[in-house]
This record gives sequence, C-alpha cells and structure tokens, in this order.
Amino acid sequence: MATFTHEDRTALTDGLRRLLGDIGTEADVRRTMETPEGYDPALWRKLAEMGIVGLMVDEEFGGGGGGPVELERVMEETGAALLCGPLLSSGVLAASLLQALDDEAAKARLLPPIAGGGRIATAALTGDAGGWTPETVSVDAIGRAEGWTLSGVASFVTHGAVADTVLVAARSGDAIALFEVDAGAAGMAVTALPAFDHTLRLSRITFSQTPARSLADGRPAWDAIERALELVRVGLAGEQAGAARRVLEMTVDYAKARVQFGRPIGGFQAIKHMAADLLLESESATSAARYAAQALADGAPDADAAISLAAFACADAFVTVAATSVQMHGGIAFTWAHPAHLYLRRARADAQLFGTPAYYRERYLRQLGA
Amino acid sequence: MSQSDKDLRDEVRAWLADNWSPGYRGRAAAGAPVGATKAWLAKVVEGRWAVPRWPREWFGRELDDAQARIIEREFAAAGAPGAGQDRANLWANTALAYATPGFKAKIVPALLKGEVGMCLLYSEPGAGSDLAGVRTRAERGGDHFVVNGQKVWTSMAAEADYGMLIARTDWDVPKHKGLSFFFLPMKQPGVDVRPLRQITDEAHFNEVFLTDAIAPAENLLGPLGGGWGVLLTALAYERSVMGEAARGPRSGKPGPSGETNLIELAREAGRLDDPALRQDIARVTAYKMLNRLNNARAKADVAQGASSPIMSLGKLAMSRILHEEARVRTAILGAESLLEGPDHPRAEDANFLTLNAYFNSIGGGTDQIQRNIIGERVLGLPKEPEVDRDAPFRQVRGS
Repeated sequence: MATFTHEDRTALTDGLRRLLGDIGTEADVRRTMETPEGYDPALWRKLAEMGIVGLMVDEEFGGGGGGPVELERVMEETGAALLCGPLLSSGVLAASLLQALDDEAAKARLLPPIAGGGRIATAALTGDAGGWTPETVSVDAIGRAEGWTLSGVASFVTHGAVADTVLVAARSGDAIALFEVDAGAAGMAVTALPAFDHTLRLSRITFSQTPARSLADGRPAWDAIERALELVRVGLAGEQAGAARRVLEMTVDYAKARVQFGRPIGGFQAIKHMAADLLLESESATSAARYAAQALADGAPDADAAISLAAFACADAFVTVAATSVQMHGGIAFTWAHPAHLYLRRARADAQLFGTPAYYRERYLRQLGA
Repeated sequence: MSQSDKDLRDEVRAWLADNWSPGYRGRAAAGAPVGATKAWLAKVVEGRWAVPRWPREWFGRELDDAQARIIEREFAAAGAPGAGQDRANLWANTALAYATPGFKAKIVPALLKGEVGMCLLYSEPGAGSDLAGVRTRAERGGDHFVVNGQKVWTSMAAEADYGMLIARTDWDVPKHKGLSFFFLPMKQPGVDVRPLRQITDEAHFNEVFLTDAIAPAENLLGPLGGGWGVLLTALAYERSVMGEAARGPRSGKPGPSGETNLIELAREAGRLDDPALRQDIARVTAYKMLNRLNNARAKADVAQGASSPIMSLGKLAMSRILHEEARVRTAILGAESLLEGPDHPRAEDANFLTLNAYFNSIGGGTDQIQRNIIGERVLGLPKEPEVDRDAPFRQVRGS
C-alpha cells in the first residue's frame, strides 16, 4: 500500500470535486442515467487519468496503492455528486477481489487494465435471493479435463452489462470458488434488470456450461470475497455519508430561500427541527464511515464491528436524510425535475446492495459477542 | 514538543511529585472541583497551576491553550484534581470577567480554593426555556438590592454560600435588557430552600423562595441591566463543562452505562435469541458508539483549530440514547418491569432510566430548544420571531 499524506488525500479529493463539478453535474448525471451503458466514457477516462479508477489497485499493477481511508474520502465525493458508473464494481470490488486472491497470474493479467480504466470488471456473488452470503450463490462449477464450466444464475450484478470481465462466485464441491468469465462467453446471457435507482446498472446473468477460468486454482474463495466486501462496505459508507451531507446542505439552502407565510420556511420549527435531526444523522454517518476506514487501514481489532456499524448506520442515515429531504422540500421535490428523488433512489439502492441494514445489525451484535 | 513545553512539563511533574499525595483527596465546597480538599486546592492556586491561562495578577501564568493543556495532562496523569479551572470553573470565570473590583478580590480566590459553595438561581416556574422572561425582582435600596421571587431546579442550594442569580431590575425595557446578575448570599433569612421531589422519587433539586433577600451592591456582576450578557457567558462555560463530563444520568444508583449492558441484560433474561430484540439492541448500542465517534471527531477538529458543528449535537444524541435504552430495557424485561423496589433491581433500573432520561432531554435546555440552537447557529436557519422581544417587559407580562 502506498503512503498517502493528509495533503495527498486533500489534493485527490479536491481534484475529484473539481472534475465532478465540471463534467459530473446533475445535468450530466441525468443525461448519463438515460444511456443504456449507465456511465459516461469521457468522465470514466478522466477518472482513470486522475487515478480514481485505479486507486485501490496496488502500485506494482499500475494502480494508486490506496487504502480504505483514501477510498472512503473519494467516495464521499462521488456519493455527493451521484456519480454514475462502475467505479465501485470494477475499481473496488473486482480489483480488491483479485488482490485478495492468491493468483499472481490473474493479477498481472487483469489488474493493470482495470486500473487504467480500459477494462471494466465486476463480480457476480449472489443469486436471485440477493443477500451476498455463501448460501445465496446459485452458480455451480464443474471441472473437467478440458477445463471448467459454470451453470446457474447470478443476479444483482452491478454494471454486468458493460463488464469485459465477470468474476463469478460458484459452488465447487462443498466450497465457493471464484471464476473468471469473459463478456460474451458461450452459454452466458446477460439481461439488464430494471433498477429503481436509474443511476445504477444491474444485471441478471445466466450461465449454461459457460467456459470459465478458475482463479487461485479453484480453491475456496469466500474469505477473499469477504475481504473485498469489507472494502466495498467502507466505500459505500463513504458514498452514503457524502451524499447525506450534500442532501442536507441542499435542503437547508432551500429552507432558507423558500418563503411561505411571509417567512423562509427554515424559520419554522417544524422544518428547523427536522434539519437539526438530519444533521445528527449525516454527521454520525460521516463519523462511522471514517472510523471504519481508519480501523480497517490500521488492522484494528474492532475493524470488523466498525465496518458492520458503518454498513447499517450509514445506509439508514442516507435513507432517512434523503426521504426526509423530500418532505421538507414539499411539492417541488415531488417533481421528476428536482434531484431529491435521485438521491432517495440511490439511498434505497445502497441500503440493499451487498447486504441489508438488518443483516449488518445482526452481524454487529455477533461481532460484539452476543 | 518545544524546549519550553518540555521545561513546563518537567516543572509540573516535579511540583506534583513534591506536593501531591492521595491524602488530599476529599471534598471542598459545593461546585468546587471534585475530589479535592480545600487544602489541596489552595496549594494548586498558590503554585499557579489552577488557572494558567489567566493573568499573572490573578494566580495565572498567561499561557496559551496548548501549554495549559500540558499542565492539565500532568495533573490528570497523577490523578490530582484542581487544574484546568480557567476552562472548567464556571463560577470563577464568571466572577473574574464581571465582578466589581472589591468583590472580585474576595470571591475569586475563595472560588478557586473551593472555600465557598455555589448554586444557580436561573429558572423560575414561569421562565424555563424562555429564561429572559424571569420575574424575580431586585430593587435598589441604598448600598444593596432587595430580592423577591421564586427560583427552581437549583441543586446544592442548601449547601451553597452564594447563588448566581438572574433577576429583573427594570420592567420598562424589553425583556433581555432589564435583567441584572448577582452573587446572592444564600445563608440569610430571606432565602428559603425547599427540596423538590422528582418523578424518580429523588430530590436532587430545590425550590428557592426569595423574600426580601439582600444582595450587597458590590455583588452585582456586570452593568445594571447587563445581566443577559453575563448569563450568556456563564451558560457558555456551563455547557463546555457539561460537554466534557460524562453525560449519563446524574444519579447515585447503578445506572446503565457500558457497551454490553443491554446484551448482558438480554442474556440474563433469556431473551438474547429474540431476533426483534437483537435488532433493537444493535440499534441502541450503535447510537452510543456513534456518539463516541462524533465526540472524538469533534475534538480532533477543534484540536486542529477548526470549529466543529458536532459539539452541539451531543446532548441531542444523548437524549435519544437514554430514551431508547430505557425502551429496549423495558422490552427485554417484559412483565418484570411492572415491579419496583430493591428486590427487583433490573426493573428498578429500567424504570428509573425511563423517567430519568428526561433529565437529559429537558434539563439544561430541552431537546426542542437544542434543535432551535442547532438549526439557527449551526445550520444558519432564520430565528423564530419573538413577539415579546422588543416590547417593554411590563406590557408583555405585567408585574
């Protein structure tokens, strides 16, 4: 892992904020979310040049060598701007998964183009039930002399339709192993799912004797998946915290400007008290996300619990802030043209992807010894 | 650490090594730094360790905050009380800033040395959240003021030598402008202290009835009619002290604290496998952890010289923690919570917490007032209009 100073991080997030303010505006988000691909190739290239796409890839493979702390800060910015695209799928989930595996050849082959943004990868880890647990995997792997094939269904695959490479969790004997499948492989059908969050792309992928390359010689890989998911949770927590802060800012600005009964509505306690409660939510989310990132970076003994805490606290906070924001705005936020619903849709998606808040509360309690 | 900082640290260490002994642990007057005898506090003041940020003529060293913190850290490491009073002693700070020269010379050293006990005479039955609406009157009579009225929510009133009093001295100006601030001597015939029985069946507070009580003119702090400004200073000191103290229920009873208590309670009660309760327990446990994380982040921001919006959120967060903890404790216990008394300590705890949670959500400013403060001062939302703000108080409330 590279060493990032406070100044390095500030430079990275400042640059990112400028870029998103320039070509990642609400208008850009709305334009991009109408495209089938769901990302803007020009913005993606800029993000790659800036080192955001490859942030989490080790330096030896052409990445930035970033850790959880850098990831969290970066995703506060992308969350605030509702960035559309496969950053989390490719740059975080797939890249971290490869790095958590004991497979040097796969790393050398896949990580440099992932870091450069030229290859988009994602991971298919759960079936139609969702849940992102080993029990929900519903793809089977069969090994024969001529190689491995996969059969079954993977669902809720983020950015599966634009991925050049899909890392697939599949049942092999009693264990879950990981396999690499190229886009367009034989017997593979990728169907776009209609996502409620229009800034997100989800696919359902069916495999029918699809040829696949085993990763780490087909050894059990769920531990590696868990390690990659830890980073994904930290990244998502950052996204949720950053987005919640932005939504609150937007809502408070509106409450200062919108006049009814001869006064700005923010002067009414009914609105002011909601805003105060949301500040507690968004600041708590920020604290939880940053603490989880630091704990994971430090290898702290409570890192597991800190990540679970961030996973449900940030998910709930973002949903609460985004939902309450619609109410505080009133009629204007009931219109398609207003961005409040875009954040609410994202908040609801983020709260389901990679495990629900209820799942993480239960997991948190177990990690505390209960 | 610079050489001068190291020298200072070594000087404090050496002084503590020569002077501090656990035999000095004890009690001084009400409101003085806890855990210290008067004899110890006197030594700390004479050693110029109590208020190092203050001017030299007032037992200080004119140090900056970072240097003063070095002294506080060394005292804390030795387990010795009495340092940091320039931050934490609300009485002495208020007196230093506003007392008349003659009174200041008497009262400031006595406060720092814990020789006089103190209490607060702010709230009234008719002035709670709207403190500027107090109706206790102070009228000039020669070299003193005559005070009549009723105060409430005063802790330590029976032990106190002085009460910091806000009273109305002018009824013909708007409410904030007719107030004055006094150190009222408590041990006099015109001061009648009556314990107030709380919903918890305890009596930590008193009502204080003032009938022709006398405040010497030199005990006026700040200008006549300038009491509101003095009060704001005093409240700011009080909040900063509350912000640093443990914010749990102030009670001698074994209260709920620690992280795993809800888990332990559920385990004891055989309810730890109830999935709905587990969700609730995780939620409340998380609220506590989030509050700690928020406070740590606020401290780090402040240490770097940035202001932090989070400071003002702690009290609101604590209200939610306490009320939710009480609710979940009750849910774990079920029918057992119907009971009270020493034979049912778990029910006693849950029921006590249920009632005492209001200590935090009402006392020291209700959650609703706290939300106004956060909305207005942190988020910059407009103030609620006050219809009585600019009218002469007599017209608004009469006398």
